[in-house]
Amino acid sequence: MPTYILQRLGMMLLTLWAIVTLTFFLMHAVPGGPFVSEKMLAPEIQAALNAKYGLDQPIWAQYITYLKGILTLDLGPSFKYPGVSVNKMIADGLPVTMRTGLLAVIAVVALGVPLGIIAALNRNKWPDTTVMLIATIGVAIPSYVIATVMLYVFALRLGWVPTFGLDNWRGYILPVFALSGFWVSFVARLTRSSLLETFEQDYMTTARAKGLRPGQVLFKHGLRNSLVPVVTVLGPVVANLITGSFVIEQIFALPGIGRQFVLSITNRDYTAIMGITIFYAAALMVMILIVDLLYAVLDPRIKLSEASA
Amino acid sequence: MSDISPNMWEKLPQDEAVAVKSAPSLTYWQDARRRLWANKPAVVSIGFIILLILGAIFGPFFSPYSYSDQNLKLANIPPAFDTYAVTDGEGNTTRFFLNASNFNLYEVDASGHVLGIMRGERKDMLKKQQPFEIAGQAITLDYAKLPARILSADGTELRTSGWSWNMTYLFGTDQLGRDVLVRQLFGARISLTVAFVATLVNFFIGIFYGGIAGYMGGKTDAIMMRIVEIISTVPLTLYVVLLMVVFDSGLLSIIIAIGSVFWVDMARIVRGQILSLKQQDYVAAARTMGASTPRILTRHLLPNAIGPIIITLTMLIPSAIFIESFMSFIGLGVTPPLASWGTLTSEAVETLRAYPHQLFFPAAAISLTMFAFNFLGDGLRDALDPRFRK
Amino acid sequence: MSAPVLSVRDLKTSFFSQRGEVQAVRGVSFDVHPGEILGIVGESGSGKSITCMSILRLLKSTGRIMGGSANFDGQDLMALDQGDLRDIRGNKIGMIFQDPMTSLNPTLSVGEQVMETILRHRKATRAEARARAIELFELVRIPSAAERLKSYPHEFSGGMRQRVMIAIALACDPKLLIADEPTTALDVTIQRQILLLLKDLQKRLGMAVILITHDLGVIAEVTDRIVVMYGGLVMETGPVHDLFATPKHPYTQGLLASVPDLRDDTHRRLTPIPGSPPDMAHPPEGCPFTARCPHAMQQCQAALPPVFGEGQGARCWLHHPDAPKVAGVNEVAA
Ligand SMILES: Nc1ncnc2c1ncn2[C@@H]1O[C@H](COP(=O)(O)OP(=O)(O)OP(=O)(O)O)[C@@H](O)[C@H]1O
Ligand code: SF4
Ligand SMILES: [Mg+2]
Repeated sequence: MPTYILQRLGMMLLTLWAIVTLTFFLMHAVPGGPFVSEKMLAPEIQAALNAKYGLDQPIWAQYITYLKGILTLDLGPSFKYPGVSVNKMIADGLPVTMRTGLLAVIAVVALGVPLGIIAALNRNKWPDTTVMLIATIGVAIPSYVIATVMLYVFALRLGWVPTFGLDNWRGYILPVFALSGFWVSFVARLTRSSLLETFEQDYMTTARAKGLRPGQVLFKHGLRNSLVPVVTVLGPVVANLITGSFVIEQIFALPGIGRQFVLSITNRDYTAIMGITIFYAAALMVMILIVDLLYAVLDPRIKLSEASA
Repeated sequence: MSDISPNMWEKLPQDEAVAVKSAPSLTYWQDARRRLWANKPAVVSIGFIILLILGAIFGPFFSPYSYSDQNLKLANIPPAFDTYAVTDGEGNTTRFFLNASNFNLYEVDASGHVLGIMRGERKDMLKKQQPFEIAGQAITLDYAKLPARILSADGTELRTSGWSWNMTYLFGTDQLGRDVLVRQLFGARISLTVAFVATLVNFFIGIFYGGIAGYMGGKTDAIMMRIVEIISTVPLTLYVVLLMVVFDSGLLSIIIAIGSVFWVDMARIVRGQILSLKQQDYVAAARTMGASTPRILTRHLLPNAIGPIIITLTMLIPSAIFIESFMSFIGLGVTPPLASWGTLTSEAVETLRAYPHQLFFPAAAISLTMFAFNFLGDGLRDALDPRFRK
Repeated sequence: MSAPVLSVRDLKTSFFSQRGEVQAVRGVSFDVHPGEILGIVGESGSGKSITCMSILRLLKSTGRIMGGSANFDGQDLMALDQGDLRDIRGNKIGMIFQDPMTSLNPTLSVGEQVMETILRHRKATRAEARARAIELFELVRIPSAAERLKSYPHEFSGGMRQRVMIAIALACDPKLLIADEPTTALDVTIQRQILLLLKDLQKRLGMAVILITHDLGVIAEVTDRIVVMYGGLVMETGPVHDLFATPKHPYTQGLLASVPDLRDDTHRRLTPIPGSPPDMAHPPEGCPFTARCPHAMQQCQAALPPVFGEGQGARCWLHHPDAPKVAGVNEVAA
């Protein structure tokens, strides 16, 4: 087990390095260079800026410098906001993004799984039909559409929740709902089909043949097995929440990392784009590791040491 | 019991007895088609998608407007309106409607064609009123209290005489006075082009990559799959974002960006299929008979892997549509004045407070399209997945 | 003969799917007496498993019991409410399934799976249940029982898993054990071990057993009486010796004819009779065997034959008093 985690960490470092390299060279492949949009810059100022950000050095030297920075957890300065580091940008946005993201993950598990169970237990009856209808809508309609429509209906029309800001708990409702809508639906569908499949398993018949009560059969024998595929999507859920936060934070004007990222893109703030991308990758890999460990807890057939081979 | 007639004890002719009714056996594709046609949502979806494609290709030719024609005088016109009718002494009726958000009056004819904006006299900024002369009568637009009202000469409020569809701009106009319908159709063009081209590119890359990995096996396979693993650690949308930063926005960029990123699922599926098919006897047989590698790949392996590939493809199309609209929504997709469903939605969001109806069409278009492809994908999966075969 | 432990009468079970109704069991009757092993044989799809699942009402969602009764311990299992039925399942009637690979829950330790049955039906502490589980493992001869309780099913071989299944079925000293092809999925050498174990346990514990099998050798060796099923119906029943010596039903004869020598281990699996069994979505009106029977008559196609004969009953028109004589079936061969 510890060797497995060490192996995984090694693999993660390798992956991270690949992503750092990829983003670094992608960003340096941008035609022109970072200061090109500032037309009025005098050549000498431009040269001074280039020198300041090390852009006058050969690219491999810049790359080494950047890697060194990353090893000391320093993502460098922002190109656009003098004196502001990318670390600070991330640190500023993190609480908001974390809070909405965490609430969204909780919503995915706390709503998606029970809805799926209800649907599976009432197969082809009205609760099933209702849940599946809502879930189909949730899976098909893009999150930004859900977000804007909800913004209009609940904030502008009905005034139940604020249109932007997170001053009180109401402010979280729409962003979290919009962020998690797709995955609540997805997990509900997945839980349902996984449970229905599990119900058909021989060991479920064994459990019933033992005289166990329906609750025992469902929760002890059925749910645990059907949750295995649900856990596997939790990794993608987190990934999706990250990209989802780009639009959601923009629509609801939340000062999170996602908004910062989109802002950096429109500002062509290359160091910020790189830094945030790398931060996302690192955060995701930690999440995926956690999910894998969870997976092994749920299903004893998965031997952690083998999974890495 | 004893009332069984003696002739009943005669032996049955043997061949008649042996003749067993057997259901006609269907080939894989016949069976798949039958199941697909039996799936109502999938069939409706196919119909919708065909209509959408036809509309996207031919629709704009039938429109008098182009997607970029602006008419600022007729901006933000709704697709339907309540009309007022005022009749002059000779029985000539003038019809018009009030745009309650920008306090303009527009003349329309009886069938709902928009004739133009109506010129009034100077606005009285203090009383928040504007006098008009319509059909020889003094009509006042009063917006002191919202919603705005139309007052007739004697100061009573004028009632609407009915409502009408907008026959000039079926879906209304946007904030620059462009025809929403034709922009929608152009949006469909963009979205479908991006989706199909990107999907096709992904399809070839995925087949190629997964095919090689699966066919070679061993070390090559291990390394290639490690690379796929590394790539898919980060959400693919993020790569598209990064690529768009490098390429700069635009239609071609987004096609390249989406096309070069979403092949990993396809590669995985193809590899898995090939690995499992490789074990099977007929491939070994073909190999011993001296068939070359490309021949084995194209003649034996791919036809058998086609079911899962088609399923993955139909799942890829809606995600490509979604990513494109998503990117356009956050301003990284196609550039104005080109319209995509994403930009249309984000433009509608800008005017959400005053003209919420403008959100309706792009939101409905993208949602219905996503529905259709999802249902079609589900239907195809049920029809093609051998596990569901009876 | 003493009163039967289980007495099944006219049991009917159907499945409902898009294809319509599939009549898997169409009126099955038989008795199981205390301390006997009743064998059920028949080709694949003849309704053996569904009959047994119906007795404990363990059918999957699409299956429905359409009629009949199953008397056990003075109660009709078909009429019992769910709660009372659950008190019988795993307690008074134990069940073993065909595939030990899929019948155990992969995510729970085998000890837990044995113990939960005991805890469900007996007033026992976990420690007591554990002790009983160890005892059971020893009973079914799982070596180093105490340690293996913590193992998971995937750490066991097929034969060992089937032993665990037997331990679960025996956990509460059932009066009746239903074993649905308990050895089919196992290696040939293991098959025999498991069967002998079952037979031995049956003798020691004095329970009644229903043993479903394809293997006529097994039937001859361990069962007392047989039920031969075909097309969802009982074709012939009787004491194993009578049935093997003088099979009265053409189907039973076909089955036995396909077994050249019962002592020859290599050939004793059922080899199919030419033709295929009827489609149970459209069961024939008459005798289901008509299409494959060498003696089929007009009457066979017209009406379902009743069961003729006491003790060794056969559902075949040839045993009607008016039926023409056919050598080897209703006329003792010269
Ligand atoms: N879930 C189901 N849905 C529809 N039909 C079913 C289902 N389960 C069984 N059947 C049908 O019921 C009939 C009897 O099945 P059963 O499993 O009892 O056969 P069996 O005699 O146990 O065969 P085997 O020797 O292969 O185990 C078969 O014709 C089968 O097609
Ligand atoms: S009833 Fe007729 S068809 Fe059926 S087994 Fe007897 S002889 Fe054959
Ligand atoms: Mg069976």
